Amino acid sequence: MIVIKDLEIGYKNKSQYHTVFKGINMALDAGSFVGLIGDNGIGKSTLLKTITGNLSLLSGEIKINNKQITEYTAQQLSQILSIVITEKIGGFNLTVWDVVAAGRTPYINIFGKLTTHDEGIIISSLTQLNLLTLKDKLIDELSDGQRQKVMIAKSLAQQTPIIVLDEPTAFLDYTSKHLLFKTLEKLCQEQQKLIIVSSHDIDLMKQYVHKTCTLTEGYKVTIL
Amino acid sequence: MLLLTLLVLSTFDLCFGSTNLFSINSTDPLFSSILFDIRLPKTLTSIIAGSGLALCGLLMQSLFRNPLAGPYVLGVSSGSSLFVAIATMLISSVHISGFFIMGKSIVTLFSIIGAFFVTLIILLISRKNKSNVTVLLVGLMLGQILSALQGLIEYVSNADNLKTFVMWGMGNVGNTTLQDLLFVIPIYAVTIIASFFFIKPLNAILLNEQYAQNLGINVNALRLSIIIITAFLVGLITAFCGPIAFVGISVPIASRLFFKTSHHLHQMVFCLLLGACVVLAADVICQLLSSQFMLPINTVTTIIGSPVVMYLLFKSKLSIG
Repeated sequence: MIVIKDLEIGYKNKSQYHTVFKGINMALDAGSFVGLIGDNGIGKSTLLKTITGNLSLLSGEIKINNKQITEYTAQQLSQILSIVITEKIGGFNLTVWDVVAAGRTPYINIFGKLTTHDEGIIISSLTQLNLLTLKDKLIDELSDGQRQKVMIAKSLAQQTPIIVLDEPTAFLDYTSKHLLFKTLEKLCQEQQKLIIVSSHDIDLMKQYVHKTCTLTEGYKVTIL
Repeated sequence: MLLLTLLVLSTFDLCFGSTNLFSINSTDPLFSSILFDIRLPKTLTSIIAGSGLALCGLLMQSLFRNPLAGPYVLGVSSGSSLFVAIATMLISSVHISGFFIMGKSIVTLFSIIGAFFVTLIILLISRKNKSNVTVLLVGLMLGQILSALQGLIEYVSNADNLKTFVMWGMGNVGNTTLQDLLFVIPIYAVTIIASFFFIKPLNAILLNEQYAQNLGINVNALRLSIIIITAFLVGLITAFCGPIAFVGISVPIASRLFFKTSHHLHQMVFCLLLGACVVLAADVICQLLSSQFMLPINTVTTIIGSPVVMYLLFKSKLSIG
């Protein structure tokens, strides 16, 4: 599903390249649960941002479904790949429903009108994460664990075969972490989604994830 | 309900003033003269200014995801003011005397350029530095610099131009003629309609920019579009009414407190109506308080409006931004 060859990641600043990590090779299939481990600042988030198209790659290639990532439009990519990131959202009267409904953005018209079909998908996404009773709550009123579940429900509503999560367990307690990873595992198995998750929680990774990828300074990364 | 309030306030605004309309026979030419040449343009201007500024405030608050953003706070109005100062005092003192239609369109053009210029600077800084506090501080500083420059121009200009400019600076919806409105309304209508085409991207960007990008939104295009829309609206309104404070920042906040929705289709409509009501109400109060002369509208909007918003903020337990 995703094939990465000799990938070099980092930031472009005018004509200057600032390389964060290079020599990454991966082949990830649908239905697999992939974990990404590495110290702070090693480039986990940079790698995830590059895979999701938020950052452009410096060299090498990323192919999604046999097509170069650069050949996808933002609109097309939004229907293949969804993200859950660490930055907390909230305010502006945003409710659980609003955030999950935002997952339908790639499919709805310019005035943001949801059809009954869209509403059905939002309700089923909420139900899968046991959030239906919270649907009218403001995001600001939720616990950190509930927030993360809302963001995952948003990804489900986006109906993408790939979900990328950057440190989803960062603010969570022991029980919530395990619940979250169990949910992700279930999504992999039942819906054949490819889930890529970064975390510092090595024990958690060992227990749930199918493959782990460790970023270490000076080493190449190969996962097949 | 808001629509009803708007209608009632418009009628009030048309009826009250230094002359009691009911004391004049409606066939009297004076009646139609007062109604159509003075009251009607003033009422329409109030509606345009209030709704336009409130909408700009909403767009900016969503774009920066910051409830403290607004055309006045971020220095956009100051940018317009400075450029209007340049236009009225430097250029008009050379060859264009007074405010006739040609002069006004030049002033408007300058005002829009000024607004655009400031919004662009703020946007560039907000992209370099993500912190909301920095963006606000830069906006405040920028406003100060622009006011200082404006002071410099005021210092070197002649007394007549200075008086016109200072009066303008207090905010006034009564200086617009029907002919001006023929020029104002098309620009206003186009920008308002244009902003309704950004409902979906604005809803998505309320999460944050990275999520919006992942949802297929072209964030850079959205930023540029919102900047152009706000620059046109703020520039246009400032050119004709002066820099009106309070409405741009407070109406969207009040609207979010009253109407518990984050959807921009609803919030846009609410802000347009609520903004128009606020400025109309301010204008009615101005006239009731003094029948001899026009009170500057800024005084009324700020003195009456700010405590209302403060009360709402204290009453509501949740963060509005």
